[in-house]
Amino acid sequence: MSARTNLAPTHPRALQKGPAPHPRRQRRGSPQLMLGLGLALTTIAWATPLIFIFLTSVKSQSDIANNLPWSLPTTWEWQNYAAAAERGDFWTGAANSAAISLIKVPFGLFFSSLAAFALARLNFPMRRVTLGVIALGALIPVQVALGPLFSTLLNLDLLNTKIGILFPYLAFGISYQVFILYGFFRAVPRELDESARIDGANTWTLYWRIILPLAKPALAALFILDFVATWNEYSMALALLQTPDQFTVPLNITNFQTQFTANIGQLNAYIMLSVLPVLVVYLLFQRYFVQGAFSGAIKG
Amino acid sequence: MTVTASRHPQLRRRRKVDAPPWVAVLFLAPTLLLFVGFLVYPMFMTVWLSFYEWTGFRIDTPTFVGLENYDRIFTKDPVFWTAFRNTLIWLMLSLAVPTVLGLLLALGLNNRIPARNLMRSLIYIPGVMASIAVATMWVWMFNPISGFVNSFLRLLGLGNFAQDWLGNPDTALLSIFIASVWQGTGFGMILFLAGLQNVPTELIDAAKVDGANRRQVFRAVTLPALRPTTVVVIVLTLINSLKVFDLIVGMTGGGPVQSTQVLALWSYTSSFTNHQFGLGNAIATVLLAISLLLVVPYMIWTIKGDRE
Repeated sequence: MSARTNLAPTHPRALQKGPAPHPRRQRRGSPQLMLGLGLALTTIAWATPLIFIFLTSVKSQSDIANNLPWSLPTTWEWQNYAAAAERGDFWTGAANSAAISLIKVPFGLFFSSLAAFALARLNFPMRRVTLGVIALGALIPVQVALGPLFSTLLNLDLLNTKIGILFPYLAFGISYQVFILYGFFRAVPRELDESARIDGANTWTLYWRIILPLAKPALAALFILDFVATWNEYSMALALLQTPDQFTVPLNITNFQTQFTANIGQLNAYIMLSVLPVLVVYLLFQRYFVQGAFSGAIKG
Repeated sequence: MTVTASRHPQLRRRRKVDAPPWVAVLFLAPTLLLFVGFLVYPMFMTVWLSFYEWTGFRIDTPTFVGLENYDRIFTKDPVFWTAFRNTLIWLMLSLAVPTVLGLLLALGLNNRIPARNLMRSLIYIPGVMASIAVATMWVWMFNPISGFVNSFLRLLGLGNFAQDWLGNPDTALLSIFIASVWQGTGFGMILFLAGLQNVPTELIDAAKVDGANRRQVFRAVTLPALRPTTVVVIVLTLINSLKVFDLIVGMTGGGPVQSTQVLALWSYTSSFTNHQFGLGNAIATVLLAISLLLVVPYMIWTIKGDRE
């Protein structure tokens, strides 16, 4: 509002030629400016918590207690990071999270692409029902199954192990991936299968050599999204992992928060450390996030 | 299909060339085994165990109690109804605030303006961070003494409003929701931005030639083209709001005085903290029923669309 009232009268032509000499210009010009202003303010609001956390992470205890949150550190306490990593066992957590993610994600994609291929390209009874049931899995909150998952892993002697948690991770991740890949495979023209078959390709060759390579962009996007999701997963890890040597990064954050409440600077350094890997992944593979969103937005 | 087949006689043998059903079973096997073993089976066990009383320890055996757990949560457990109400509030708020904000930001950032990629990234970045990290960040943001929120209010001369946001039952849930908006808006924005790329520019141009103004173009062309995206955003928002767990665990743990309990967390607390597996699973079953009620219509719609 204020942008409009301020700008219109100072426009030199507006002063010369009376009340509304260039209605189109004015109507476009000031909303455009207001739009830019609104977006800039929103972005600043969005960036504020990140800046605040970063500033806190490089401040000393007394600095945090005595100075304003937006003031720059009086001394830059970079050693907060090293201290936090050591106290909060960051590297154990990071190694656990990396191990789980790097096994879970490729296997999950492999299995779900196999299933999506069968559902999209092969004929068999109950095809549609199978697709529906698998897709339904993506829509169920995992908390519904936590109790029985706990007792299942307990009975299999896999509770509190990285191997054990892989099974529910895979089961709960597969649905969404099957759903997205199904949409991709479905879009490939049928004629391709037919000509490949006539050339003597068997079903495996058809999947591995022809259909799967066509879905590379979708696979890359799903890989990145799934890596981030697995790295960040909290509720299953909370229920199924119990000792600090098995903890993943998200569990370590709450652990640090409850154990060392008083040390705000280090806690914030710890948060920064824990989000850094996914931030790097995001910045490196930004376009895949958009592509992933694209494939999700297309009605499977 | 029939046209192609008649034009190329050799393709009529397609059915014979097609793989037999057992091949499909092989391709589906790993997925189905995992899916049945670690998703379907636990889900049925949840419903099954909701009729039992059990501590969850291996040394104890579950005893059948019929509908007693349901009787307890529906009539004797006040926290259940708080959790139920909060879940609904969360669902409504999530449908309204981050989705509309995401749409507005997408419409704004779809224009050619300076630094739009930077703005998109900054708004989206909280979405890739772990919810539990976001929760911990916002606990510090809301810290009553040195937190950003209260300091900023004092700076604006609104020091009277400064308070213990997460420690006050009246403000705790809304404060958590603010963190959720911060985290979730970017996701909706990216989906809507993707959807906006599907809006046919010829149609917009044609509408402009016909003399439509901006608002008319938006209502007649842009909005209808965004409909599939909107459906996806709404369904994902529904699912995600039923799942809300990490943020609440990390920010209040359901407190103060259970004022921020939601069904997912109350089910977890009953099972794992209070060792009342039957009760926890009864609450989970209610959550499951709500989820199915909300998403099955969408599923049917999608599968039907696939037929075309």
